[in-house]
Amino acid sequence: MTLRKYLISAAVAAGFTLATTGSAIAACATDDLPAEMAGPDGFPARALTMVVPYGPAGGSGQVAQAMAQAVSDLTGVSINRDHKPGGSGTVGMTAYMATPADGYTVLEHIDDAASAHALDSARPNPAEALIPLVTSQITFSQIYIRTNEDRFTDWASFVDWVKAQDGKATIANVSKEGSMERVTMKFITDATGMQIQQISFDKGAPRYGALAGGQVDALFEQPGDVRKFLDADKFKPILTILKEAPEAFADVPSLTDAGLDFEPLFRFRGFYVKADAPEERVKWLQWAFQKAYCQPSYQKYNESKFMTLIESFRDTDGSKELITSTIAQYRDVYKEMGLEVR
Amino acid sequence: MDTFANFLGGTAALFGDPVGVLIFFGGVVGGMLFGAIPGVSMLTLAAILLPFTAHLKPEHGIMLFSVIYCTGVYGGAITAILFNIPGAPENAPTAFDGYPMTQKGKAGKAVGAAVMCSAIGGTISCIVMMIATAPIADWAISAFGPPEIFALVFFGLAVAASVGAKTFWKGWLSIMAGLMIAVVGLDPVGGMERYDFNMPYLLAGIHFIPTILGFFAVSEIFVQAEKKATGSYKAPKISVDFPTFRELWAHKIAVVRSIIIGFFCGILPGIGATLAAFMGYNEAVRWSKDKLEFGKGKLEGVISSETANNAATGAAMIPLLALGLPGGALTAMMVGVFQMHDMEPGPLVFINSPDLVWVVFAAMFFANLSILFVGFLETKTIINLLRIPFQFLAPMILLLATVGAYAVRGLVIDVVVMFIAGVAGYFLRRSGYSVAGIVLGLILGKIGEQTFAQAMQMLHFEFSGFLQRPIALGLLIAGFLTIGGSIYGAFFRKGPKAATMS
Repeated sequence: MTLRKYLISAAVAAGFTLATTGSAIAACATDDLPAEMAGPDGFPARALTMVVPYGPAGGSGQVAQAMAQAVSDLTGVSINRDHKPGGSGTVGMTAYMATPADGYTVLEHIDDAASAHALDSARPNPAEALIPLVTSQITFSQIYIRTNEDRFTDWASFVDWVKAQDGKATIANVSKEGSMERVTMKFITDATGMQIQQISFDKGAPRYGALAGGQVDALFEQPGDVRKFLDADKFKPILTILKEAPEAFADVPSLTDAGLDFEPLFRFRGFYVKADAPEERVKWLQWAFQKAYCQPSYQKYNESKFMTLIESFRDTDGSKELITSTIAQYRDVYKEMGLEVR
Repeated sequence: MDTFANFLGGTAALFGDPVGVLIFFGGVVGGMLFGAIPGVSMLTLAAILLPFTAHLKPEHGIMLFSVIYCTGVYGGAITAILFNIPGAPENAPTAFDGYPMTQKGKAGKAVGAAVMCSAIGGTISCIVMMIATAPIADWAISAFGPPEIFALVFFGLAVAASVGAKTFWKGWLSIMAGLMIAVVGLDPVGGMERYDFNMPYLLAGIHFIPTILGFFAVSEIFVQAEKKATGSYKAPKISVDFPTFRELWAHKIAVVRSIIIGFFCGILPGIGATLAAFMGYNEAVRWSKDKLEFGKGKLEGVISSETANNAATGAAMIPLLALGLPGGALTAMMVGVFQMHDMEPGPLVFINSPDLVWVVFAAMFFANLSILFVGFLETKTIINLLRIPFQFLAPMILLLATVGAYAVRGLVIDVVVMFIAGVAGYFLRRSGYSVAGIVLGLILGKIGEQTFAQAMQMLHFEFSGFLQRPIALGLLIAGFLTIGGSIYGAFFRKGPKAATMS
């Protein structure tokens, strides 16, 4: 049984491949939804609350703010953001599950919710305990080095250099047990035969500072998060963790170019409501959040974060498919890694 | 010369625009007010204002946040001094001596010193920021990695334990208790669950703001209530006598030392003003001839803490502007303000938007100066809150602290933690343990654990790796010497064993 067999998820792979090439010419995903929709029985009669399981300054905080603004611009309904950071999203999820299922409280969450459920089925499954209103950001990862680095300059020379260091080379990432970063790094190290020490930084600034200051040799990150360093020519990507490189990174080797044969994992962020919320209210929320995705302000935000390089949009069914296949992917990988899957 | 010309240009742009002036003064007052109310800190104000900055000019949005940062860090000192409620964690060491000064009828001197030293620390830090942002930022991130930051934290804990309680052992036990609390929740590197007892909220760990409110404010209410019940309560005398120039001049070395420490801590990404304030205070104690007087109402304690935390504000802007690396939560929100205007902080800001940078620099300079004037006016009025009888003041403080604890994350468990800390703090203080040491252990423990784990990963799990990094080695040696000195002082030197910090 190869790891590859476990990892292949046809729907996800096909979807991302098509989206990589198709997004540039497609109109916005929800243009065909009606421009207006009346809420059922006057819903919502007051402001909505959005529980965000991370702080206001990080990726989740920013996408929550951008989506809340877009929904408010579209519907005139205010959304109060309630940040409940901690425990890798667990605190916010737990707090959200304790709220009334009346449609007035929605949740922002990322793929960590899916991987947490994959590791421990007692944790809520975002595709079953919740209804995904929209997935509004899907992105890929890359490996970066300093632009002025002279020990290696591209992926091939980096791999050679790392192998020569006999396990002493370092890469900064968020290497919590079972995280997308850690799993992906396992794929890479297994495929290349290189040994590299992963240094875990849970906050972005120290992580990026570690590469910029030469404390580590490389960085694992998503392009939107390090865009300023790319624009300033401080960092450069040497590997795109996608089967095919998107146009914006055409000169950076993809997995296929580098001869790495595994299915990439993605970082995704979306918005949810409780599964037992009133159906008509859920329909209105689905319309509001999906339509807001195409608001110019939200599209502009996504573009600034490199979130348009692959198709970032999934509606409810698409999100469920994404989450379900992701859970299956992680669960198989965890078993392969010898982690205790509960 | 270029710097001065740019500064004048930034000043002209700031005060030549009526909207900019309005926003500047709004930020000054708002930062001070929100900084002074526990729980609803400057971060709360910043989070509320963040969406609205999209409608401001970029320079106004960034300037507003930088002004709130400067005055907010100072604002928390007032309640720390008057009521033993630090407005924010970076004001906690200010309460160590500020509140005892209030009890001795010297609230005016403590508040005056906080005003003066916040302004001095912030202004000088701001000047250095204007002169040398880029080279300092590059030096900081290349010279200070996780091993060095861990060594710095170790040094800080070593100093704190030696001055924290009535005896050597109680000092260390207090620090250890703080470190134990710090390990509750997910471990910061591997994500392992620890001491959560299957309670999801504990996975996020014990938050230090409710802990600070409990150990400081709630336990103080219990102490004062006991005095009231036993008839030994004495209302603090009201005094608005500010420190004289001579008194401040006598502490010039402490000010300079705290500026250096505060600036240094501020430029390290992810460290910021809280560590600055604790380190500034610790070093003041370490170098003082009157260690025994710290914690009992020594002016130098307030001076050291408030100088250091404001010195960190200008410094924290250096990695943000030069490298795009925020040093703390508020500077991280500033990244959001930049992004709302299609900008990213970092090296290109100096090239693409020099006008914005210099308006922000000028605004921070004048915000620190304005602490002097607005701060004096503010304190002349706020000190009069002490005239409120204890039976009315105590419920108000408890209410404020409860709201503050809940406001952190909107979780009831934080209020529970605050009251548990309050009760524990009451008994620990009676037993001669140091609640300040526990809080310090908690705050530094979280940073220290994370950087230690990162350092060990970087050094391939070989302790000898520290020996090859001169700065880390120097700080570790200093820490061990401090521990050795305190052991010698506690067990071999005649006379008082250690300083008391009740």
